[in-house]
Amino acid sequence: MSGAVGREPVFPTRQSLGLMKSKLKGAETGHSLLKRKSEALTKRFREITRRIDEAKQKMGRVMQIAAFSLAEVSYAVGGDIGYQVQESAKQARFRVRAKQENVSGVFLPQFESYTQEGVNDFALTGLGKGGQQIQRCRETYARAVETLVELASLQTAFLILDEVIKVVNRRVNAIEHVIIPRTENTIKYINSELDELDREEFYRLKKVSGKKQRDNAAADAEILAARQKAAAEEAGKSPAAEEPGAADVLGEQEDNDVIF
Amino acid sequence: MEGLFFNVNGGYVEGIVRGYRNSLLSGQNYNNLTQCETIDDVKLQLGPAYGDFLAALPPNPSTSALAGKMTDKMVSEFRYLIAQSVGSTAKFLEYLTYGYMIDNIALLITGTLHERDTRELLERCHPLGWFETLPVLCVATNIEELYNSVLIETPLAAYFKGSLSHQDLDELNIEIVRNTLYKNYLEDFYNFVNSHPDFAGPTQEVMSEILQFEADRRSINITLNSFGTELSKQERRKLYPEFGNLYPEGSLMLSRAEDVEGVALAVSAVADYKNFFDAVGLSQGGGGLGGMGGGPADGKSLEDLFYQKEMEMSKVLFTRQFTPAVVYGWMKLKEQEIRNVTWISECIAQNQKERIGNFISVF
Repeated sequence: MSGAVGREPVFPTRQSLGLMKSKLKGAETGHSLLKRKSEALTKRFREITRRIDEAKQKMGRVMQIAAFSLAEVSYAVGGDIGYQVQESAKQARFRVRAKQENVSGVFLPQFESYTQEGVNDFALTGLGKGGQQIQRCRETYARAVETLVELASLQTAFLILDEVIKVVNRRVNAIEHVIIPRTENTIKYINSELDELDREEFYRLKKVSGKKQRDNAAADAEILAARQKAAAEEAGKSPAAEEPGAADVLGEQEDNDVIF
Repeated sequence: MEGLFFNVNGGYVEGIVRGYRNSLLSGQNYNNLTQCETIDDVKLQLGPAYGDFLAALPPNPSTSALAGKMTDKMVSEFRYLIAQSVGSTAKFLEYLTYGYMIDNIALLITGTLHERDTRELLERCHPLGWFETLPVLCVATNIEELYNSVLIETPLAAYFKGSLSHQDLDELNIEIVRNTLYKNYLEDFYNFVNSHPDFAGPTQEVMSEILQFEADRRSINITLNSFGTELSKQERRKLYPEFGNLYPEGSLMLSRAEDVEGVALAVSAVADYKNFFDAVGLSQGGGGLGGMGGGPADGKSLEDLFYQKEMEMSKVLFTRQFTPAVVYGWMKLKEQEIRNVTWISECIAQNQKERIGNFISVF
């Protein structure tokens, strides 16, 4: 897997290592956050699914009762009141208000139904006969529409949540399976490159210091040999002669670089 | 003596109606209908009574289509009757159609008020309320024109005159217009059967009784239905027909009634209505309006009881002879039959069999 993910195209430097490390940390935080969001949304989603199921069953029952009450009206009135009701209705009695609800950053529209009291445009319909049945039928249908509104708001929430959950899950998976492994890979790569560099450097230093030691040893041996030779000559000429080889530390000549 | 010459003019019509009466569905037929599983079964059961009128219906027709075809049959039978009748009988039959005319005109007024194309509305009009000049009303584009043409063109002119002006049509609720017209119609009809010399005797007796009942029923219904609406008591009072068992004391009390108890009190003078109110539990105040249409224990509402009473009166009409009143009885019975069948088929179509027995059968 990690082979397929590859790594980021960065230079293996300490700076980019730092960058990558903070990126990994960010990705992990983001992942856990998104995971929690997705869980919250899914929980909500399940609840909505359950409520849709309930609402649909309720709708079935309510619509049946409503249709039956219309049959009662046509029995009591003995004629068609449809046209009259249509014509006398001027104002909506049953209204819907839309609200927004925030579920972990997702705005779900919510429809809320309410009845405008006092608006009753066809209260006099069926004055001669069947008036009560008509009013009852109206109430039954108002209840049916209420159920429909409830169902509509649930269905809208269902669709939106479905979409959002898909997006969030895609993000979670992308972070989990692509971004995090890739960043880890990059970090691993940078680390290994840096280690390699370190080892090379160390080896080079060792080489240099080895050569230096050899050079020093040779120089020491030379000086020693020269001293011995001078001492032998001194012993031959004047033993009181100054030591020529004693290095003048504070003198003009350059010091050798000290390399560790 | 009164029957001596009746058959010269009215005998044939009466005979025909008695024949029609025999084709009304009986309790046995209704029993069979309630056993049906589909609308097609219903159609099959109605076959003997309705025959070729239902033949054109597609398989599993809608209940409204079924009811439409049944109405068609009633209309064609009635048209035959009216074509066969002469003199006072013809006049009497015309009176029967005025009620439907009022509905049709109310429909057209509604359409004109809302500036709809009234020609489309003609199809919705009840065929019994059709009169030759009805399409003329569609020419009217505003309510004043309509009012003037209603006054001139239609048989209902007399009912508009004196109680409604064209401003009223504009301002009043159409239901109030309709009920005002209906009140005038009932009063006129009542006056007609009581004053026409041909109807002295059985027609006057039975028609007075049944029209009085109709008037009372309307008064009671209007009162009950007006609770909680903007209809004021004065306006309400104007809609009560000025005759009937309740008139004048009962009507006055009705017009003052504030609630169901008030209505129950107002009608308590008439034993029949008092029984109805007791039966549906309205007089105790326990039932309330919520009990209407099925709440009470026996499943009957006040409206049902009124229908029941009307049907029984219509049935009793057939015990009289030498009177065109049987046509009235037959029409009411037929209408109830159509409602019954519609109800039964609705129950079947919507699978709500538990209340299928909630129809009214008197035979």
